[in-house]
Amino acid sequence: MLAELATPDGGHTLPIPGLFYAFAFLAIFYFFYNFRRALASRIGRPESRPFRWRSLLPNALYYGVAQRKVTSRRFGYASLTHLFLAWGFMELFFATSVVFLVERDLLTAWLPVKDTPWFAALNELGGLALLLGAAMALVRRHTSLRPDVLPQNSFGGRGSLLGDSGILWVLVLLAVGGFLTEAARLVIEAPASASASFVAYALTGALTAAGWSAVQPWLWWSHAALALTLIALLPQTKLFHSLLAIANAGLTDTRELAQLRPMHIAEMLADPDADPDALVLGAGKVDDFTWKQLLDAQTCTECGRCTEVCPAHAAGLPLSPMKIMQDMRRQLYDQVDGTGDGAALIGPHGISPEELWACTTCRACTDACPVLIDHIPAIIDMRRFLVLSEGKPPEDAAGSLEKTVQQGNPWGFPKEERTQWAADAGLEVPLMKDRESVEVLYWVGCAGAYDPRNQSVTRAMIAIFEAAGVDYAILGREERCTGDAARRMGEENVYETLAHENIATLDKYRFERIVTACPHCFQTLGRDYAQLGGRYEVLHHAEFLQQLMDAGRLPQGALEAGQVTFHDPCYLGRHSGQYDAPRDVIARSVTSGTPLEMAQAREESFCCGAGGGNMWYEVKGTERINLLRFDQALETGADTVATACSFCLIMMDDARKVRGMEETVAVKDIAELVAEGLAG
Amino acid sequence: MRICVLIKQLPDTGSALKIRADELWVDEDNLVFSANESDSYALEEALLMKEAQGGEVVVVSLGPERVGQVLKDALAKGADRAIHLHDPAWEVLDSLGLARIMAAVLKEEQCDLIFTGLQSDDTGDGQLGPMLAELLDMPHVTLVVETELSDGRIKVKQELEGGWFQYVTAQLPVLLTIQSGINKPRYASLRGIMAMKHKEIKAVGAGDLDLPADQWVAGRTLQRLYVPEKTKETVFLEGSPQEVGAALVDHLVNTAKVF
Ligand code: SF4
Ligand code: SF4
Ligand code: SF4
Repeated sequence: MLAELATPDGGHTLPIPGLFYAFAFLAIFYFFYNFRRALASRIGRPESRPFRWRSLLPNALYYGVAQRKVTSRRFGYASLTHLFLAWGFMELFFATSVVFLVERDLLTAWLPVKDTPWFAALNELGGLALLLGAAMALVRRHTSLRPDVLPQNSFGGRGSLLGDSGILWVLVLLAVGGFLTEAARLVIEAPASASASFVAYALTGALTAAGWSAVQPWLWWSHAALALTLIALLPQTKLFHSLLAIANAGLTDTRELAQLRPMHIAEMLADPDADPDALVLGAGKVDDFTWKQLLDAQTCTECGRCTEVCPAHAAGLPLSPMKIMQDMRRQLYDQVDGTGDGAALIGPHGISPEELWACTTCRACTDACPVLIDHIPAIIDMRRFLVLSEGKPPEDAAGSLEKTVQQGNPWGFPKEERTQWAADAGLEVPLMKDRESVEVLYWVGCAGAYDPRNQSVTRAMIAIFEAAGVDYAILGREERCTGDAARRMGEENVYETLAHENIATLDKYRFERIVTACPHCFQTLGRDYAQLGGRYEVLHHAEFLQQLMDAGRLPQGALEAGQVTFHDPCYLGRHSGQYDAPRDVIARSVTSGTPLEMAQAREESFCCGAGGGNMWYEVKGTERINLLRFDQALETGADTVATACSFCLIMMDDARKVRGMEETVAVKDIAELVAEGLAG
Repeated sequence: MRICVLIKQLPDTGSALKIRADELWVDEDNLVFSANESDSYALEEALLMKEAQGGEVVVVSLGPERVGQVLKDALAKGADRAIHLHDPAWEVLDSLGLARIMAAVLKEEQCDLIFTGLQSDDTGDGQLGPMLAELLDMPHVTLVVETELSDGRIKVKQELEGGWFQYVTAQLPVLLTIQSGINKPRYASLRGIMAMKHKEIKAVGAGDLDLPADQWVAGRTLQRLYVPEKTKETVFLEGSPQEVGAALVDHLVNTAKVF
């Protein structure tokens, strides 16, 4: 829409006043002056994640410019809206640059000549797209957006001109003004291809030629002023996200999303000169985050998608991941600009501990975020501050953390009884310490060892190993909690202690791979331990069972379990990308075949509520996450709710009891479906 | 102000206990140990008082090498220094012997307040506090569920039986035995653990004390430790009320011999 601004002198064309150049210069100067806000994140700590040059450009283009994650089936209307807005905006920006160059006879060999019909038509489409997008956004913002996920005012809110609705109205004015200015030009210059500018051309009939000539300077100047003001203020408005998102996408290593940064506490403790008061333990202040984490917060577009998909939010718990990002950003700008009331980041005027503890680390937010923001590590860093620096884990969890250190399991059951499940069932299970080397080291896990419901899964796995003739052994009493819950609760010291012990134990033995039925153990053993030097090939039992079936080592089951639906555990699904293996295993072990899908399945799965340590304490909400999920399972009409995680199993089983469905619905781990098929 | 807290280390309540072959104690191999429950509350009460009034918290424990852990935990939570009483000669003690050793050590510390847990969860004697107070010639209050310190006096709420309480006011120095539940024991932060490494744990043995060896010879000895055998049995009497009544009388007179 800025295209007309650059018409050169001569003939019937309109003059460009020298004053315009002065204003343009000022606007651009102010834009760059304002742009320094982008560097606010430099007050953060150095980034410990390795920088990945190779992904810089591809990610900036794919996620930033092409906005791959903006487009989402779940947010169809918003995706379409953004598509129109963003591509309209970009087209017009591009067209304006082209016209500017063409008018000055620059690069003419590569650019369309003035008043090329297809180019004129394309620019009209750009204007229409912008107008349509802005209108769609306005409709949505004022009619259907849930008030609880509405943006929280950090850019002046939706009332203000720089805020959410104001900026949309500016875009509307810009588009309308552009069309009108173009209409006036068409009348005055009367180019041969005038009808190609089809929107403006249609408007030319609205006034007489004399009329257009009279209003032309007003139209032109108001349009120019609006455009230049927008450029000048862009870094202060919500539209700044368009630039930050490209930068942030380029600087994000998508493989690292949701992975917690190691703290290397063992080294801290070993350092005799370490000053306990000077150590940064977690993030209690905004500059305790790394610069990349602060850039994330700056980039947040306040779209609210994260909060809309957050299970804690859905259950009425006091958590909105969007608010977390906005509180971080507000603190950041307050600190950099020297404004603000100096209120603590974590506290009554910032982020409350309850918000932090409500997170199940389910990763729904991160996967939904269009601009690659990494919420979980930020939340856990603040938990680390609460626990490691302040000594304030959730009240109920303190005991569990202490027990985990003492007895090696978060329940605090005697460590001597870690293999009691085998003795009780009269099983002779091979132990690693009696074996030279094995193919599969089966990691039983605390739940598998102590929780009665999960002991049945462990026995099912043993039955499967025996039936398929797998060369396997377990660690027995040498196994300790992997520390997943402790780590997600921010207790990195307890986590590291357990991790170092387990790594030392594992490194004593020879095995080809570790198999576990717990996706939390799978995450810790397979990815977290690598940060501490423990590198193993780890398979979740879903994939392992699938491999056994593929190899024909298990009979295809014919278990009568009625209709089955599958609940995707967060750490198997979103965190590890395994959606098909468990479904395949189910389909091949029950007579009803392919499982039924819940409304929220696979990538969109809704957490069971146990992750992130939430198994061990409770943050009060209006509902319970596991009940919400169990009800979704019931809606499929399934007779059996299957899952593939120790804690999901406990949560679903509990929901089944609360709902009084013990007689009518079964809750099973996929290994149980396989093993019961063997028996039958 | 100096507050001394006595802490005992015990097998963790979650441990699976096995009786040692000599039937004189439990088998301590592979056992997990932790601080006696009410002692944790005593420590927390001392730390809260220090935070409110200033001063110093000194933790004291007697036992083998492993006891160092409860002292370290206490230091990590905020105690200022620790005294570890450790001597092979002190392996078997009764409450009085222990009280005399503690008295010899604490005399030098000149504590304004001494806190212990109400009783230890292993033998459950509950005697150390009162004995120690007598030996140090200071007043004591047992079963404390609330404290309020002001101007060198302390007002405490003491639990009596049957849901009754009483308030007692005492002049410092005084010894209190603390009931579980009086507060919420804190969690040791990593910052506290790092700070702990710079704090003093003083080792004290029999030779360091001005106390003749006959003073701790146990006057009470443990004969045998065993898991209680099942001695009671519930008998269900069936029939009409008359029959049941008759059977009951018969049972009481002839089998249980209560008359
Ligand atoms: S990880 Fe899950 S629970 Fe935590 S903020 Fe994100 S969506 Fe909410
Ligand atoms: S964090 Fe991401 S998903 Fe959440 S509001 Fe910001 S941009 Fe949207
Ligand atoms: S991560 Fe979970 S199941 Fe695995 S060992 Fe720890 S508590 Fe047990």
